[in-house]
Amino acid sequence: MKKLWLTQFSLRHPKAVMAVTLIVALVMAAQFPKVRFDNDPENMLAKDEPVRVFHNRVKEQFALYDFVIAGVVNEQDPDGIFNPETLQRVHTLTEQLLSLRRSPDGLPQVQAGGESRTVDLRPKSLYRRVLNFVFRHDANRLFTSDGDSAIIAREVIAPSVVDNLKQAELGSLKQEYLMPVPPTTRAEALVIRDDAMGNPLYKGTLVSEDGKAVCLYIPIKDKTFSYNVAALVQELTKDWPAQDRLFITGLPVAEDTFGVEMLVQMATSAPIAGLAVFLLLLLFFRRLSLIVAPMVLAVTTIVCTMGLLIGLGFDVHIMSSMIAIFLMPISVADSVHILSEFFDVYHRFDDKRKAVEHVIGHLFMPMLYTSLTTVAGFASLATTPIPPVTVFGLHVAFGVALAWVLTMTFVPAYIMLFVPKRTLDRITATRNEAEGEHSTAMTRSLEWLGRFSYLRWRAILLVTLGVVAISVYGITRINVNDNPVRWFTSNHPIRVADRVLNEHFGGTYTAYLTLEAAQVGGNDCATKAAHLAAAAQARFGEAMPEATREFLAELDSLKQLYCNVRTCDTKDCLVRLAAAAERIDGKATKAWNALADGINYLDPDGLTMAKLTDAVGKLDGVGQAEKQTLFARLAKTPNLAGSDLQDKALAICDEFTSLSFRQFVSEQEAELTAPLFKQPAMLRWVNEFQAYLAQDSLVGKTSSAVDALKKASYELNYVAPPADASPAEIQEYETRNRSHYSVPDTARACGQVFTQLEGMKKKDSLFHLVTRDYQQLNVWFQLKSGDNRNMEQVVQTVADYVKANPPPVKLVDGWAGLTYINVVWQKKMVWGMLRSLSSSAAIVFVMMLVLFRSFLFGLLSMIPLSVTIAFIYGLIGIGGKDYDMPVAVLSSLTLGLSVDFAIHFLERAREYQKRFGSWAAAAAQMFKEPATAISRNAITIAVGFTPLLVAPLVPYKTVGFFLASIMAVSWLGTLFILPALITGLERYVFSRQPKESEDE
Amino acid sequence: MNSRLAFLLPLLALALPAAEPTVDEIVQKANQVSYYAGKDGRAEVEMTIKDDKGGTRVRKFVILRLNGEDGAQKFYVYFKEPADVRSMAYLVWKYAGDKDDDRWLWLPALNLKKRIAPGDKRTSFVGSDFLYEDVSGRNLAEDTHELKETTDQFYVIRNTPKKPDTVEFSYFLVWIDRETFLPRKAEYYDKNDKLYRTVEATKVETIQGYPTVVESVASDLRAGTSTTNAFSGVEYDLGLNDNIFTERFLRRPPREIR
Repeated sequence: MKKLWLTQFSLRHPKAVMAVTLIVALVMAAQFPKVRFDNDPENMLAKDEPVRVFHNRVKEQFALYDFVIAGVVNEQDPDGIFNPETLQRVHTLTEQLLSLRRSPDGLPQVQAGGESRTVDLRPKSLYRRVLNFVFRHDANRLFTSDGDSAIIAREVIAPSVVDNLKQAELGSLKQEYLMPVPPTTRAEALVIRDDAMGNPLYKGTLVSEDGKAVCLYIPIKDKTFSYNVAALVQELTKDWPAQDRLFITGLPVAEDTFGVEMLVQMATSAPIAGLAVFLLLLLFFRRLSLIVAPMVLAVTTIVCTMGLLIGLGFDVHIMSSMIAIFLMPISVADSVHILSEFFDVYHRFDDKRKAVEHVIGHLFMPMLYTSLTTVAGFASLATTPIPPVTVFGLHVAFGVALAWVLTMTFVPAYIMLFVPKRTLDRITATRNEAEGEHSTAMTRSLEWLGRFSYLRWRAILLVTLGVVAISVYGITRINVNDNPVRWFTSNHPIRVADRVLNEHFGGTYTAYLTLEAAQVGGNDCATKAAHLAAAAQARFGEAMPEATREFLAELDSLKQLYCNVRTCDTKDCLVRLAAAAERIDGKATKAWNALADGINYLDPDGLTMAKLTDAVGKLDGVGQAEKQTLFARLAKTPNLAGSDLQDKALAICDEFTSLSFRQFVSEQEAELTAPLFKQPAMLRWVNEFQAYLAQDSLVGKTSSAVDALKKASYELNYVAPPADASPAEIQEYETRNRSHYSVPDTARACGQVFTQLEGMKKKDSLFHLVTRDYQQLNVWFQLKSGDNRNMEQVVQTVADYVKANPPPVKLVDGWAGLTYINVVWQKKMVWGMLRSLSSSAAIVFVMMLVLFRSFLFGLLSMIPLSVTIAFIYGLIGIGGKDYDMPVAVLSSLTLGLSVDFAIHFLERAREYQKRFGSWAAAAAQMFKEPATAISRNAITIAVGFTPLLVAPLVPYKTVGFFLASIMAVSWLGTLFILPALITGLERYVFSRQPKESEDE
Repeated sequence: MNSRLAFLLPLLALALPAAEPTVDEIVQKANQVSYYAGKDGRAEVEMTIKDDKGGTRVRKFVILRLNGEDGAQKFYVYFKEPADVRSMAYLVWKYAGDKDDDRWLWLPALNLKKRIAPGDKRTSFVGSDFLYEDVSGRNLAEDTHELKETTDQFYVIRNTPKKPDTVEFSYFLVWIDRETFLPRKAEYYDKNDKLYRTVEATKVETIQGYPTVVESVASDLRAGTSTTNAFSGVEYDLGLNDNIFTERFLRRPPREIR
């Protein structure tokens, strides 16, 4: 009886055991105030995970922030949100958000239109306040530690603070905010609508294409501010009329909200689960004094486990928040077995100590192994590459082990100290009566079940095979998918906002695709030389064949020198080419330049041909030939005077000065040395790429610097048709203007347009889309769905496109953004879970071999849980439920929990077979007491998880539903399949069984 | 103690100038010194824009300036580097009083001359941390000025906008050299009374008798960016032709900038 020393010690020194338990529990509880919460799904990946590192690098490089998205929708007004009242509200809200500051008494304070307002975001309900206090959530935390606003004001995207390039009077270009002041008339409001719709960066992002919605993108300094920022927006807009509906969305809000609600869930689910288990036990045993022990044991286990977690410095994450609810039913299971049995046998001993020793001696091995398998199931989660899951698995494993130790020590000590003999005597006296209807009904149906399993074993095995076959089919249809927004039930405000806003907009889920050259340096020397030669031929070949040949020869010799001998030093090469070009230009070009210069400085007022002739005559460095050419040409347009004459003379000069090789080289220098994303060919490729993506149903919209470039090029080149233009002329103007809505033809032109964008009112906004050196581009994807599955499809679409349409320069692309990060950790999770499932299956099987010392028994014990797992996953596949994080976590613990029933069943089966001599006799007995205990256990655990079904958060619901199903299926599997199998395999099962050395 | 005071007082009286200038005189003079030196002027500028990660972009341009009547001025800005913006040019006509500026832009690669509508002057100058207003001067009538402090070297002026809703600052402080009246430093405070922007004259030389800023730095403390302007080839009173400041010279830059 060596294995019982723990129990015997506890029976002898119950007070010491109680004291130690109490002290340990208190020490662990003392860790609680140190608790920190972490609700960032990004932490599902380790901090040094490449995708996170890359994501953070992209965020840093392009100054991207996490956004709280506040959408305003007006579906009543014929003009949608573009009516003066709604726009005024949006403007006021923007001003308020921009002005957020801390009031002297520490509350958030905002200002709009000179009106200052202090708000208090603390919840009104006392319960919420208490929770906030307990979880140390400060609802008014909207400031960084040095008192700055959580909102990055200069990066807010809202109509009042985004740039707008538009045509203004006198053919000028106006640069202002889209809505510098809120409109007062319908006409003004519609101008704002047209301006917004005319900008590809805003349409579908800032304003919806149907004009019914506008989104404010509120960048926050840290994701953990998003819940409070969302609350602030709600507070500031709560007096808005019903037609202006406000929706808040964005992954950070979803994630942060989930975190906050998770705490509430934790604070309610675990106690309710405790209560449910308590009531159930009360129903089974009808004696308060008996069932207090398992309850105290459960609470102690949870307190110690959470205390350990907090004490070790781990954050409470979404996974670890479920620890309490897992431990509650699991930890009482063993004591339920003990109490159930104790209750049955006490009358035989009439002595507490002897009864306890008998019961524990009897149940020791099954309890040890059921605990060990559960520990193995959870501990196997440690092999997943997802830190929070690892922490969760190891802590639950610890809790289960602790519960076992407490069952061996605390429960006996409790019985010795607190269960009076009188009570037990009374229970014994009224035993049969107390069992009551319920128990008899249960026993009766269990006995019927037993007979059925024994007689109809072939049918059962056939049905099982059928179920397994269907399940396997179901498993093949499993959809691996997750989306943090779907963690909320469908009527949750977050889900509603998600639906409404994604209906109106290009999509509220963001991912970023960064593009950069696969190798620095771009084109090689020979390509550049070929480009230069072609360009020179095209520009000068016809007008100056002689000089062109000379230039090309010069270029060729430089090419020989630089491309073959030295490394390709483009800059140096171009300097030498420029010198040669200047030589080739010769006197004529210089003369024309001097001529043009001289004319340029003349005063246009009162300029006549005579004055011009006189002035030109006095110019130095200009030969007679050029002067004669000029005046011969001017003679063709007589009667010119003043600035017209000056302009005409300059235009003639320009024809000749433009034939300058020197200028050509300096222009080409800009082309050849242009960074990747100033090169027209590259930008046009991006343009085509985006056009292709626009047709993809999953991609709501993409935005890039190319959109900004095209828009700016259009506005800069825009020429309004004259007032008296005919319709045909207007059409012509239109066509001309529209043609400029494109990537300009040269790198210089792209560079010059980009320079205009760099100097916009909202400084550096261009650099969210391209790096300052124009070597890396960021394509902003807006997806309509945050489902990982869809994100994966988009990644594939992009990869396919790039493969089929190779860019002019080989690119490397990289994905970032929260939507993409979720894909990565999910993938890791699926494979991690599969690995942990197989490893824990192997461990459990080995344990079973050791326990039963029989290969066949080991195999048998694995069958109910295998069927259960197949069934559950088949159900998920056929039912169309996505395989997401909570489902994945369930796989491992299914194993640990459902093998328990098989262990108990097979242990008893073997024992009874020996006792009664035949399996037929044993089978009948099996469905009396052992089946009852197994059933009670299954019901306890199932009921313990049912409170999760009413949780407002889907992952909790999923866990609750599937755990209850797992219990039901493995209970059925154990009681149907095992006896059926044993009946079928009776000869093998019992004949080859080795003689056991008795323990007692 | 009394006797010592009696001894010091006459000395103090000697050290002080006959009369301290009033606040208005100080700001008027400072404005004149910093934006109107000479009849005209020319400077080559090397502008280094530094981002929050320490990366830099360099732009080189030449500025020509011609003073007109009553504080009116004309500017010609011609870009030399980087290669892609070479020959890009701006023309600005600044008027006396409240009248808005006229601005033109020349983009050579697009063969495009475009008039730019007057806009907010507190907008970044070509993507740098300097604002248009830093380059051409802020209208003194837009703020109320008070002398906050007089130190050994500086008059510290506190400038509060008359229309606070039109600007992003709640006030700014300017340190004006008591000797040269050249502003040496400006600090801008936001509506939460927090310093968020500084502009500083980091190097000053006297050129042709005019105290001249030859290096200045503007810093955006919130974005973590800063821009340094290094001035070279500064000349005053070149006798610039008024014609230079016309659209015609955008396409064909004047000799003075080459």
